[in-house]
Amino acid sequence: MDCTGARERLRERVRGGLDPETTAGVDAHLAGCADCRHEAEAERLLDAALRGHLAEERAPDSLRRRVAAVVRADGAPVGPGRPERRPAWAMAAAALVLALLGFLGGRAAERRSAAEALADELVSDHLRVLASAHPLDVESTDSHQVKPWFEGRLDFAPVVPGDRGELRLAGGSVGYVMDRKAAVLAYALRSHRLTLLAFPRDGTPGLSAQPGAAPSRRARRGFEVVTWSAGDVAYALVGDVSGAELERIAVDLAAQTRR
Amino acid sequence: MTDAGHRIRLVTGDAGKAFTDGDPLVHLDALRRVALRLTRRPGDAEDLVQETYLRAYRGADRFLPGTSLRAWLCRVMRNAFLDGRRREGRNPVDAVADLEEVAAAEHGGGLLRGDAELDLLRRVVASEIEGALRSLPEDARMVVLLDVEGFAEAEIAVALDCAPGTVKSRLHRARLALRRRLADYRR
Repeated sequence: MDCTGARERLRERVRGGLDPETTAGVDAHLAGCADCRHEAEAERLLDAALRGHLAEERAPDSLRRRVAAVVRADGAPVGPGRPERRPAWAMAAAALVLALLGFLGGRAAERRSAAEALADELVSDHLRVLASAHPLDVESTDSHQVKPWFEGRLDFAPVVPGDRGELRLAGGSVGYVMDRKAAVLAYALRSHRLTLLAFPRDGTPGLSAQPGAAPSRRARRGFEVVTWSAGDVAYALVGDVSGAELERIAVDLAAQTRR
Repeated sequence: MTDAGHRIRLVTGDAGKAFTDGDPLVHLDALRRVALRLTRRPGDAEDLVQETYLRAYRGADRFLPGTSLRAWLCRVMRNAFLDGRRREGRNPVDAVADLEEVAAAEHGGGLLRGDAELDLLRRVVASEIEGALRSLPEDARMVVLLDVEGFAEAEIAVALDCAPGTVKSRLHRARLALRRRLADYRR
């Protein structure tokens, strides 16, 4: 292989994208050509510099919420003709109708639609954790490390329950529930991932009226959502395990948060 | 499979699946990285990303299932960016002028010789990378960025609306121009 042939393949060689035979050909040329070796090293270093600078840069959560809101509000999903996406959208449309009925039709319906909207938001927050490549800002299985991390980042102090039975703490980050800062705690339960959200109780519509009430469960878009309050802080547990199991775990967590 | 199982698979997307029928939002980070280098201002970048998703959802029927979703989203974003420039009365990206600009960048200064260039690349800092990227015309910037994001040449061609055969040489010229600009910082 000559210089021209080697240079054309340098970038792919540096990234390991060539077949073994071509790789051997390029390497044989590099062994005998200092200029091309220099080019290969420069390409590798430029890649490393660009990747190091760009790779882990994440979009702010505020943008994620903005875009999710636009997408929710604006219509059909990409990739038409996939029936499994439809129920979610159909239910979102139904929620919109419900919200409208609630507005027109009295306080009970109003509270119900607020609870539905809150459950929708909580499920979206859970999905955001699942969908993100780097969902956690603090990755720790130790609640004594996760809890202090929130200090100064939130204007309330959430209880961070640690491991309990099959439930394993994975870490946490700061997110939003209804445009208010929230603690986002990620847990694993066998092969399932659960999200526990903690957010200010006051001013969040859709919560049960009594702060000491039993956790209340609701199914949204294929997920189960259980909410409860402890003092000024509201908690929501979201996941795709059975409603009964999630409720059992939530009752246990609620007891910890109310201690 | 349960409804919940479906939902998770679709949202998290497994490799390969995400291109054709995954959730477009998984590409948000990458789109925002590119948008930030196109617009140069965080607020403008966020507006551009939002506009991109809005257009993508409204024009979802123009996406061909089975093709690269992220490439298509980048194409939508490039068009939104160009439309924004036209609205401001600035020239749209002109491929010929771009090539001349790249050529000018290439002749703006030589590469450092030998180990001096490698040392420079080892110690290059964020502000120098940003500055060097800014000195490139938009499409050259996009080629470099999309390549670093791991886009295949065919995907870059879709994103830039250009012939696949021209991507390799565009990328080569743009990266060379980038190295020359970086060398300029150390003269």
